[in-house]
Amino acid sequence: MSSNEELQETNTEARFEFKKEEASAFKSEKGLTEETIRVISEDKDEPEWMLQRRLRALEHFQNMPMPTDWPEIPDLSEVDVDEIVPYIRPDIDVRGGVDDWTDLPDDIKDTFDKLGIPEAEKNALSGVGAQYESEIVYQNMQEQWEEKGVIFCDMDKAVQEHEEIVKEYFMTKCVPPSDNKFAALHGAIWSGGSFVYIPEDTTVEMPIQAYFRMNSEGMGQFEHTLIVAEEGSEVHYIEGCSAPKYSAFNLHSGGVEVFVGEDAHVQYSTVQNWSKNTYNLNTKRAIVEKNGRMEWISGSMGSKATMLYPASILKGRGASDNHITIAFAGEGQNIDTGAKVYHNAPETKSTIESKSISKDGGRTNYRGLVHIADGAENSSTAVECDALMFDNESTSDTMPYMEINESKVDVAHEATVGKIGDEDIFYLQSRGLDDDDAKQMIVSGFIEPITEELPIEYAVELNRLVELEMEGSLG
Amino acid sequence: MSVQVPASLSAETVEEISEARDEPEWLLERRLSALEALDELELPDVIQTPGRRWTDLESLDFENLVDPLDQSDATERVEAEGAEVLSFVEALEDHEELLEEHFGSIVDPEENYLTALSAALFTTGTVVYVPEGVDAEDIEIRAEMNSRSLFSQTLVVTEESASATILESIESGEDVEGDRYFSNIVEVVAGENSYVQFGSLQNLDEETYHVTLKRAVTDTYATANWIEGNIGSRLTRSDVETELDGDSSETKIVGAFFGHDDQHIDVNARVWHRAEHTTADLVTRGVLDDVARSVYEGVQDVGEGAWNTSSYQRENTLMLSDESEADASPKLIIKNHDTEASHSATVGQVDQEDLLYMTSRSIDPNTARNMLVEGFFVPVLEEIDVEAFREDLSDLIIARLD
Repeated sequence: MSSNEELQETNTEARFEFKKEEASAFKSEKGLTEETIRVISEDKDEPEWMLQRRLRALEHFQNMPMPTDWPEIPDLSEVDVDEIVPYIRPDIDVRGGVDDWTDLPDDIKDTFDKLGIPEAEKNALSGVGAQYESEIVYQNMQEQWEEKGVIFCDMDKAVQEHEEIVKEYFMTKCVPPSDNKFAALHGAIWSGGSFVYIPEDTTVEMPIQAYFRMNSEGMGQFEHTLIVAEEGSEVHYIEGCSAPKYSAFNLHSGGVEVFVGEDAHVQYSTVQNWSKNTYNLNTKRAIVEKNGRMEWISGSMGSKATMLYPASILKGRGASDNHITIAFAGEGQNIDTGAKVYHNAPETKSTIESKSISKDGGRTNYRGLVHIADGAENSSTAVECDALMFDNESTSDTMPYMEINESKVDVAHEATVGKIGDEDIFYLQSRGLDDDDAKQMIVSGFIEPITEELPIEYAVELNRLVELEMEGSLG
Repeated sequence: MSVQVPASLSAETVEEISEARDEPEWLLERRLSALEALDELELPDVIQTPGRRWTDLESLDFENLVDPLDQSDATERVEAEGAEVLSFVEALEDHEELLEEHFGSIVDPEENYLTALSAALFTTGTVVYVPEGVDAEDIEIRAEMNSRSLFSQTLVVTEESASATILESIESGEDVEGDRYFSNIVEVVAGENSYVQFGSLQNLDEETYHVTLKRAVTDTYATANWIEGNIGSRLTRSDVETELDGDSSETKIVGAFFGHDDQHIDVNARVWHRAEHTTADLVTRGVLDDVARSVYEGVQDVGEGAWNTSSYQRENTLMLSDESEADASPKLIIKNHDTEASHSATVGQVDQEDLLYMTSRSIDPNTARNMLVEGFFVPVLEEIDVEAFREDLSDLIIARLD
């Protein structure tokens, strides 16, 4: 059976919405204090400098106000960090992830089997990392890449084994903890995540994937992903995330830092399907050198509230960026997402394409910033936002910001909002489709520009998630 | 953090202004309550992104800019048959009830620090009243500012099925040493099935800080159109807004600006769709030269009850100089799905191919560029109903190009 058929045959809802008994080897107290951070750092046996970075980040977190002055900001009043369990080390024997699924405890293995990860690994991926609660439990990469010097490992392990690189890049130049309140929180209690290093002129042909699963109620997941792509290299990194739904809120606050070297090309794809009690507040940013290319592809389907604006800093001449974003907000969801691009060098180029769908009282918002610095001549940016609204309970907002400090540029922004076309539905119905199938088909067509950028397995997955949302059967 | 209230401002100052104009008690009360509110009020919102505040209103030094008891202007008013075009003082004599009902009903004096300051201190302004069924064309209000500070409040009321086309022009008159401050609040009450076009052309000298808030509220089938031209001033903060309250009402907000030297031009166009079958079209075109800077915010807000809405917005900025800067934020806030809405914004230079085409026809590069800039404003000029206004704006653009 191919993975495609596997995905189609499994009941997708059941694949996300199952809970395992909590079984942890170590679980921190609720809340965030210096003591908690010392305990986490000690449990990870971290070098002193990392502990110091965590403590500095904590200080930033405590001194920064919650963001409240943004127009139409999602309601974060429920997010009380003192109610969160920031660190749960799953009960596994090998820290840093086993490289054989059968070495995992049954309930964890079963979790990832249900999510289809081992199956996908066999068919479509160069490497896989899987995080359960706060730590990576499985990590493996095909030997051919290891031989070429590609590193794909657990972030905690990277602190130990690749200390110099991590020390140089970890929350220093790309996402400093002072960037925003949740980046500071992340810097204080980060745990798990992936470290990816691609040596010069190396192309990793099949994608690398990391999957993040929260199982426990009231926990926070704060994984950190650091990708360093050296000159002329190429990699496609995919992250997936999910959690079962609980009545208390969960918090996901990931940090992603990507360094795209000269002529390098990194694609970062996310299919986010957090349960609808999760607050998903991430900071993702890439620094792109001369002629490098960064692509952010994001599908935001889950979560109660998402605030996510992947950023590219186009630092070298000729660097380019491509954002493709799709957001689907159903009942009770507030998906506030967008893009940020800083054109800091001449001949840089960015294209942002955003598609959003709101339904049953959900809210989507495109919030984006394009900044063209003085001297970034012959740069261009094109932003296109399209929103589809299903009913009158839903909301769709668009809030782009453009800051242009250079005259030799080409800046264009376009947005449209509309309802699903009665004529389109009528046409499809006259061809024998029922109302639901017609809407389904229109939505599939609407998001196609995004799905065609994803490997087939993920495109299928995304389409199935959209189908589920349309049926209103999930969550 | 509220703003420091200038020491020269007190209840006595306000009473003196009111008394000199022999105002009724209710108006004095309103002035005094606006004055009292100043302590608590904030400046209008300004867009802020990481590391960048789009307009700096905090540095407005009201202590030095505002001299409440020395306000002076020379205003000419060209009437139209059947309509009343009166100075505020005249209007108090002839139409006190109308003023008591509508003045301050569209722009709440206590909306922000600047509106309250204006409501407490204004000494000039115009009232346009167009009775039912009357068509009033080519109304002109030509104002000259002759003092360090000047506060103006204008009210336009069109009754059922009336129409009015109005041109307001604002210039600096007598020379005054140092920085100046001009505040201009305009309220439009567009009655059922009435039509208003309010055009404003501001060409103040470049020592003047210019703040304007213009807002219309439309009744059923009414149309309120704005044309906002900003050429002069050191800093302009302009908010032009329509609240579409009546079913099937419409608005068009057309803006043009041309900044040079170190001018800072912050223009905002906002529409709220609050009824069914409403239509809005927001069109702004601006040119920047030297180290001028522009800020644009456009908001299309479609409320839950606004079925069958059409809402469009376009903003285009042309940069003639490498040192100029342009910020833009066109926003859509949509709460009713029965909406067709779009917006677009562009920033760029004069099209190089167009330029090449013209120079290859032996037009010298400077003339070619100027012709293209004039052409750039044509879509805005075409919207203007009052011919004198169209010519004035066009002349100012050409003058700036030379």
